[in-house]
Amino acid sequence: MVDLVETGETPARPREVVVDARDLRMVYPPSKAGTKGTVAVDGVSFQVHGGEIFGFLGPNGAGKTTTISMLTTLLTPTSGRATIEGIDVSARPHDVRRKLGLVFQKSTADEELTGRENMLIEAGLYGLAGPDVSAHATELLTQMDLASSADRLVKTYSGGMRRRLELAVGMVHKPRLIFLDEPTLGLDPQGRAGFWRYIRSLRDSKGLTVFLTTHYLDEADQLCDRIAVIDHGKVIAIGTPDELKDSLGGDTLELTVAPGSPDPTPLLQAMPGVSSVTKVRDTYRVKCSNGESLVPRSVLGATQAGINVVGVTVTKPTLDEVFLHLTGHSYREEGVPNGPSSGSGGDGAPAPGGA
Amino acid sequence: MLLPAFSLIRREYLRWIRAPTWVISGLMSPILYLILFGQAFDLGKLLPPGVPPSVLSSALSGAPSYFSYFAVGMVAFASVTAAMFSGTGIIFDKQLGILQRILSTPISRRSVFLSSLVFRGTLTLIPAFLVVGFALLLAHVPDVAGLTVGGGITVVDALQFVVAALVLSVAFTALFLSFGFAAQRIESYFGVVTILQLPILLTSNAMYPTSIMPAWLQYVVGINPISLAVNVMRMSLFGTAGYTYAAWVYLLGLLAWACLFVLLALLLASRALRSGGGPGGGSLSRAIAE
Repeated sequence: MVDLVETGETPARPREVVVDARDLRMVYPPSKAGTKGTVAVDGVSFQVHGGEIFGFLGPNGAGKTTTISMLTTLLTPTSGRATIEGIDVSARPHDVRRKLGLVFQKSTADEELTGRENMLIEAGLYGLAGPDVSAHATELLTQMDLASSADRLVKTYSGGMRRRLELAVGMVHKPRLIFLDEPTLGLDPQGRAGFWRYIRSLRDSKGLTVFLTTHYLDEADQLCDRIAVIDHGKVIAIGTPDELKDSLGGDTLELTVAPGSPDPTPLLQAMPGVSSVTKVRDTYRVKCSNGESLVPRSVLGATQAGINVVGVTVTKPTLDEVFLHLTGHSYREEGVPNGPSSGSGGDGAPAPGGA
Repeated sequence: MLLPAFSLIRREYLRWIRAPTWVISGLMSPILYLILFGQAFDLGKLLPPGVPPSVLSSALSGAPSYFSYFAVGMVAFASVTAAMFSGTGIIFDKQLGILQRILSTPISRRSVFLSSLVFRGTLTLIPAFLVVGFALLLAHVPDVAGLTVGGGITVVDALQFVVAALVLSVAFTALFLSFGFAAQRIESYFGVVTILQLPILLTSNAMYPTSIMPAWLQYVVGINPISLAVNVMRMSLFGTAGYTYAAWVYLLGLLAWACLFVLLALLLASRALRSGGGPGGGSLSRAIAE
């Protein structure tokens, strides 16, 4: 049995609100006079709590990067309000920049410099220098397994090493909150799983709050404590991965019986945890909260009632189904606009990660 | 706080010291002009024999030979050519997202611009002084014309020479930096720079004396920043005879150009670095977001 994270588990301590976004909107000015601007983010509200890994999940062009840009003061919101550790991003951008770390989608380390030089120069941009800063840089590089390559030019780094360096650079000024924009874009599955480990280790060792965007469903599912699902510039659901999946009504058990067998519906409906039973030819689709435990019970019950069971499957809900349920379109059908005004930043750009 | 700006200068320095190729490309044209054009195009040889050297010298505002006159012009030209590369770094930083990362830190937007100006402006001086050294060296090569200067050069003269070279460097570094901030692509940057390079050089007195030009051209040449700098530099080396104004007047004019270009660059830089808003800033922030 797959052991998932306990549903609805929240630590007992009061949760500090680190990021508070209220009805954020971003409308890019029209490129041609007379045309309407592009609505990239259309009134999103959410809160990120201290110490959690919060994921912004959505297809390319959903408005994820624009939201990060607003929260990190690179873009001024058209309307709405956001605070980072209680500081308003529009009113005091300079103070907000000190509070957060930011890792971009693209590698932004200077290729002609070594990993360590990149770290120390970034520290200097925050006004930090000296032996303490060097020691902290070394510690971060070691934690990211870059100690042995710290004094090599970044252009000799592999893709995974570059992502780790970006993470280390983003942490050099000891922020308590870090924004990661598509942190594992372009990494192979192994590299991605490895990178999740580094993110978790930073969170656990430094009590870091992580805000990340991703368009990988498995990344949101396995790495994030909570997820906001965003599509066409709007947040359409927020919750833990399990809460979101449970919102679909839990597991699906499919019981297939031999043709001509009696109808097991009344029997199934009487079992604990079952919410609905629908019949598709000889297969009965059972929505239930406890798929695995229902397998022996339903097979045994049906057999005892003289029903010939020929097959049984249990499907756990996936975030893909959640997405389909919430948006009405499947996750991979990216950038299908609902209407003329709902197109968002990266629509029509098929390349992953946009321009 | 100077540390953030210093960090950016350090970054540029480390990049430059590891790949100083642009010094070579920046030096190439002035050196070729010195060893080919300057040697061949000796105006003094056109004078009939028997004409006293003072005639030529007065036509060349006191320079002992055409080559000496020309070499000082090439010092200024070397600065301008080197400055032409000033704006390239900022375009690559924009394209690679490095600029966006810098802008996400608390460093002030002005520091980003000023650190570029200080570093690039200083670098631009290097080719200028290398040209001086090279031209002086040529004087000791047999059968080759070289730069010869009079004996009476004072510390003030030398200082005046350096200040003129420095202000010229800053002026053109700022001008080309402003193109860098405004341009989105390296092609459009070099498009503009290539169009400007020859007109800027040819409407100056770097290669030939103003006195042989038609009157309409003389006006343009008179206010060209290269001419102003070259006037001051020649006055430092060859004396002040034959000039309409004192050296400080030319220096003041040059300074005015420098201020104008720095202001222009500041304007374009702050437009490009501003998040959201206007057209320049808008396109950058759009680039950030996409």
